[in-house]
Amino acid sequence: MKLQEKPVTVNNAAAVPPRLEVTALSKTYGSGPSAKCVIEDLTFTIGTGEVVCIVGPSGVGKTTLLKCLAGLQPATSGTAAIDGRTIAGPPAEMALVFQDYSRSLMPWLTVRKNVRLPLRHLRLPEAELNQRINTALEAVGLAHAANQYPWQLSGGMQQRVAIARALAYRPEILIMDEPFASVDAQTRFELEDLCLKIREDFGMTILVVTHDIDEAVYLSDRVVVLGAKPARVLDVVDIDLPAPRDQISTRALPEFAEQRTMVLSMIRKPA
Amino acid sequence: MNKNLRPLLVSAGGMLAALALWQVTATGPMAGGPLPSAAATFVQLAGLVANEAFWAALAETLVISLAGLTSAAVVGVVTGVLIGSFEPVRYATLAVLEFLKPIPPIVILPLVVLIFGPTTQMSWFLVFFGCVLPIIMQTVSGVHDADPVTLDTARSYGLGRTEILARVTLPSAMPFIGTAMRVAAPAALVITVVAGLLGGGPGLGLSIYQAQAAGDYPVLYAYVVVLGVLGLSFQGASRLAERRLLHWHASYREVLPA
Amino acid sequence: MNRKLTNWALGVGTPFLLVAAWWMFSENSTNTFFPPLGMILERFQALWLFEHFESDVMLSLRNLVVGYALATVIGVGLGFVTALMPVARWALDPLIHFLRGIPPVALVPIFISLIGFGIEMRLVSITLAAMFPTLIATVDGIRSVDSTLKDVSSVYRLTRAEKLAQVYLPAAGPQIASGMQVSLQVAFVVMIASEMLGSSQGIGAMTLLAQQSFMTSDMWAGILLLGVIGFGANLVFEVIKNKVLAWYVGSKRLARS
Ligand SMILES: Nc1ncnc2c1ncn2[C@@H]1O[C@H](COP(=O)(O)OP(=O)(O)OP(=O)(O)O)[C@@H](O)[C@H]1O
Ligand SMILES: [Mg+2]
Repeated sequence: MKLQEKPVTVNNAAAVPPRLEVTALSKTYGSGPSAKCVIEDLTFTIGTGEVVCIVGPSGVGKTTLLKCLAGLQPATSGTAAIDGRTIAGPPAEMALVFQDYSRSLMPWLTVRKNVRLPLRHLRLPEAELNQRINTALEAVGLAHAANQYPWQLSGGMQQRVAIARALAYRPEILIMDEPFASVDAQTRFELEDLCLKIREDFGMTILVVTHDIDEAVYLSDRVVVLGAKPARVLDVVDIDLPAPRDQISTRALPEFAEQRTMVLSMIRKPA
Repeated sequence: MNKNLRPLLVSAGGMLAALALWQVTATGPMAGGPLPSAAATFVQLAGLVANEAFWAALAETLVISLAGLTSAAVVGVVTGVLIGSFEPVRYATLAVLEFLKPIPPIVILPLVVLIFGPTTQMSWFLVFFGCVLPIIMQTVSGVHDADPVTLDTARSYGLGRTEILARVTLPSAMPFIGTAMRVAAPAALVITVVAGLLGGGPGLGLSIYQAQAAGDYPVLYAYVVVLGVLGLSFQGASRLAERRLLHWHASYREVLPA
Repeated sequence: MNRKLTNWALGVGTPFLLVAAWWMFSENSTNTFFPPLGMILERFQALWLFEHFESDVMLSLRNLVVGYALATVIGVGLGFVTALMPVARWALDPLIHFLRGIPPVALVPIFISLIGFGIEMRLVSITLAAMFPTLIATVDGIRSVDSTLKDVSSVYRLTRAEKLAQVYLPAAGPQIASGMQVSLQVAFVVMIASEMLGSSQGIGAMTLLAQQSFMTSDMWAGILLLGVIGFGANLVFEVIKNKVLAWYVGSKRLARS
């Protein structure tokens, strides 16, 4: 698991080599008369070190798409590729934060051990292991809950444990499925900024599914708007906001409102 | 289609392979020994089906199991409701019931045989003893579990004691009783067999004992096959009955063991 | 507060009262079926703590423990194989379910016919009969492991060994434990049955022998000992289970309140 040494900051999609490439991807559940086509002919790319958000109505197939990207289920046709390699199983450089956070944590392990579980087979030196776990837990503000069990925590805290687990794994590509859905507004802002910070620090490529358009605009270099059934890319909106972003000043910019309106109108537009 | 057929084919293949292995072992390396061949066993099985004594034993087994089960259900539910309705009684009996619960009826078999002899009553009593405790305990839990808000509402509407029992307490205890019965039904059959095999009570248990004592191995195996089928039917029937009778109940799913 | 105290006193007091009543009412009993409790306890001490301690009590317990341990290991192991390999599952499922339908005690005569009346027969009977509840619970437990947990293990690329030991085993743990508890009951029953059927050793055999020779106090002493073992074994199991599955007990309690 190599991480890029130099922080990269990018705003211009065209200048970045594609890290993740989705080409004509489609996904059908089941077969025969009960077959259900969820995704049809999806194409987009994500560059190295980019933050991209996917927005779209509930049930459109966002989670399905992420599962295909994570190699958890095969695409029916088309491909998803990392650095040109077609994804056939879970790629080593990727971590996924599941939408269903309460079911994605091991209830028999404490918070700390949950974060530790994926690191076991990396055979890190003990000191680095502990340091990674501590940093991740501190980053999501859960250092104090390290020895509690997930079921003793609130939904928002559980969600943060799942995020900490992904952070400690230090993936090159981080995919999150509605990761901030049940945390309070204040924590949500902090986690959003954490997201931007780890991109700066580690050059991570980050893909986030969200229902919150403000959040999508604030976080992203680009927003992929999904719609229709089966899911298609309605539009890809390049977000042109100055870096570094700041919760107060960035959100106050007139451009922010503009981009936000653009994405919103894409979503509301009848297909 | 092909895909759905494969598990069935493999299952059938597994069964056939097991039978073949049995046949080969019995006629090859263990020929002449105590292991009868599968073929001989099934021939005996066919013979049993034509045999009146077999049907009599089967009927006795069924009658004893069901009589024991029914009496245990009636006594168990009534006792359970009584114990569950009075807090002091519940506490007084708790430790005793908890002590007795993990003790299987085979433990008191010598005493029961001493008192009743190798009779139908002996078998029936053993089945009753084995089934009644879990039913009592589940009923107590069920009665205790009745929603306090519903109870209060019922009381504030001026419902009488018996009415509350019939309309609130018993319905809410139903899933618990259902679970207890689902577990008790196959147990009743097992205990009937134990009573016959070890205590000389009438029925298939005794038949097995006699076949073993006489060294009539194909018959012994045939009886065991019959018991396997019977055991499966008891399990299936009780599960089906529970699902049919209790599917409407909101807490039905919760009560099932995890 | 007062009521709590009363309830507590009732819970503790009733068993003592019952034993005291038994003692008093049986004290001058001449009924052959119900000898005085004092006499039963005397025989209990003489038989089980001294005369037959090594030759029968320890023998029975050893069979129980060894047979049950084997049943657990084989049941869980076979359960894993059956649950995780579709072909094994399809092939073995009907067979396993058929064998499970047979009352465990009915297997004893078969093993007697195959291996005779010795200790081996008793061990094999206990092991094989007690294996099925654990086996079936393991298969069910592993099959119902949450799909999200499986996805998590795949995404983080846990090794096969890690998946088995760190995810499947603990996730199926509660179900495996309830299967093991049934297995323990079965092992206990089959232990007694295998001794009663034509053996002359072990607590079960001694108890039945006492009954057949109308030594009622000895029989009662045997019943008492078996009862205590049945209760004790289950108690030990519960204590260990609650310790190992503390996370499960805790989460269930929290969910209920
Ligand atoms: N394993 C499956 N088998 C069959 N259909 C499925 C399966 N998983 C999801 N679906 C269907 O695919 C569609 C898309 O589901 P998906 O979970 O991807 O939506 P989503 O965009 O993530 O929704 P949400 O925003 O509510 O999370 C839904 O109609 C769902 O019913
Ligand atoms: Mg989703």
